[in-house]
Amino acid sequence: MCLGIPMQVKEINGFMARCEAGGVEREVSLFMLAENTVQAGDYVIVHVGYAIQKITAQEARSAWELYDDMLRLDGELADETPMVPIGQLLRDNGGR
Amino acid sequence: MSLNAKRWLEEIRKLPLARRVRIMNVCGGHERAITMAGLRGALPSNIELIPGPGCPVCICPEEDVYEAIQLALHEDITLVAFGDMLRVPVNVPKREVRSLEQAKAAGADIRPIASPIEAVRLAQAQPQRTVVFFAAGFETTTAPVAAMLQESVPGNLLLLLSGRLTWPAVAALLDSGQVAFDALVAPGHVSTVMGPEEWNFVVEKHHIPAAVAGFTPVSLLAAIYSTLRQLLEGKRFLDNCYPEVVRPGGNASARAQLAATMDVVDANWRGVGVIPQSGFALKPRFAAHDARLRFPSYADASRRRAGQMPAGCQCADVVLGKIYPNECRIYGNACTPRHPIGPCMVSDEGACRIWWSAGTRTSKVAHA
Repeated sequence: MCLGIPMQVKEINGFMARCEAGGVEREVSLFMLAENTVQAGDYVIVHVGYAIQKITAQEARSAWELYDDMLRLDGELADETPMVPIGQLLRDNGGR
Repeated sequence: MSLNAKRWLEEIRKLPLARRVRIMNVCGGHERAITMAGLRGALPSNIELIPGPGCPVCICPEEDVYEAIQLALHEDITLVAFGDMLRVPVNVPKREVRSLEQAKAAGADIRPIASPIEAVRLAQAQPQRTVVFFAAGFETTTAPVAAMLQESVPGNLLLLLSGRLTWPAVAALLDSGQVAFDALVAPGHVSTVMGPEEWNFVVEKHHIPAAVAGFTPVSLLAAIYSTLRQLLEGKRFLDNCYPEVVRPGGNASARAQLAATMDVVDANWRGVGVIPQSGFALKPRFAAHDARLRFPSYADASRRRAGQMPAGCQCADVVLGKIYPNECRIYGNACTPRHPIGPCMVSDEGACRIWWSAGTRTSKVAHA
């Protein structure tokens, strides 16, 4: 549950934002960030549905690349009950 | 692996390390990135990377999981918990329900969630029914729970809070003198929320090099390089190898939300024992949302091995960095992700589960 996932903010509505990563969209709370910290187009790190920090586009991209590598590894080596890969996790459960 | 990571590896290989160096990490995300990127095999063999207490699911008190199971079985409530809590086994006789997953199969209303937001939505959708949120996790998970409480929490949403702080566990490890490590890679997202300053004690009190790292091989290798240089040059400081995200003071509004909703108290860690000032407890003004106050305690002190890791399981040693996952006798034979014995094989952040997923399938000491 401790994994942070970088997401891009698409639209802000009060304290809630529609965020996207790897083609998956999630509702994310901005309540942990100081007001007016982020705008649409910015990147944030999301933990259990809450943005914990604003990050740069480059930082988001390098993290996504790493996660893609992990997904590939998991796919190759998984047992019948594979560890849930991060991208899959996002797809199944929202921004954890 | 990018060229940058290769360059860091070259720089590390150039360092004149005369002896074995043990570098501990205390974050499941770090362990996952280290293992999946194959950093152990890429680094010189005298550099050891040790997974320490970095898995909140693994150290969540056994009695709290038991309490959650009993609440779900015996009270007319909906229990929600983060998904990887559902398969964590408690110590009960064979015929009894030993996990939230089994309680769910037995008819209890238990639902996995991925965010506190889902707990709020569920409580709002069924205002006549009590929803209990079993909230285990480190600072990065507990801070969002605090944000949820500060923003607004429905009257029918209660918390069974098992939040823990990471740095007191490292402090306890160092004070105990039981586990020797030469350097620390400090957790990136805990520091993002709480501020890197929390880890100054490692350098100042224990004179151990430390560096905050992010979750890419580049950031981890930079942190490893920094601590090795510190060792070689006799300098000690807390380096920040994740500066784009980890800022001085951390996330001030998140810390204010934690301080406004929770107290820091002495707390039990599964298989480890009580660690001073290492747990979060709800402030008295949230008493109406405290499941421990609303419902009678289902604690049963007569249970065999209450509070401990499962019988035969060496998760306690894995969590404390005393042994590697594949130095546990049951790793890969009695204990696999399909039939996990200990929580380190259950959770995505458990060192055993991570090593298994990366291809380590057998114990080094299976028939010792």
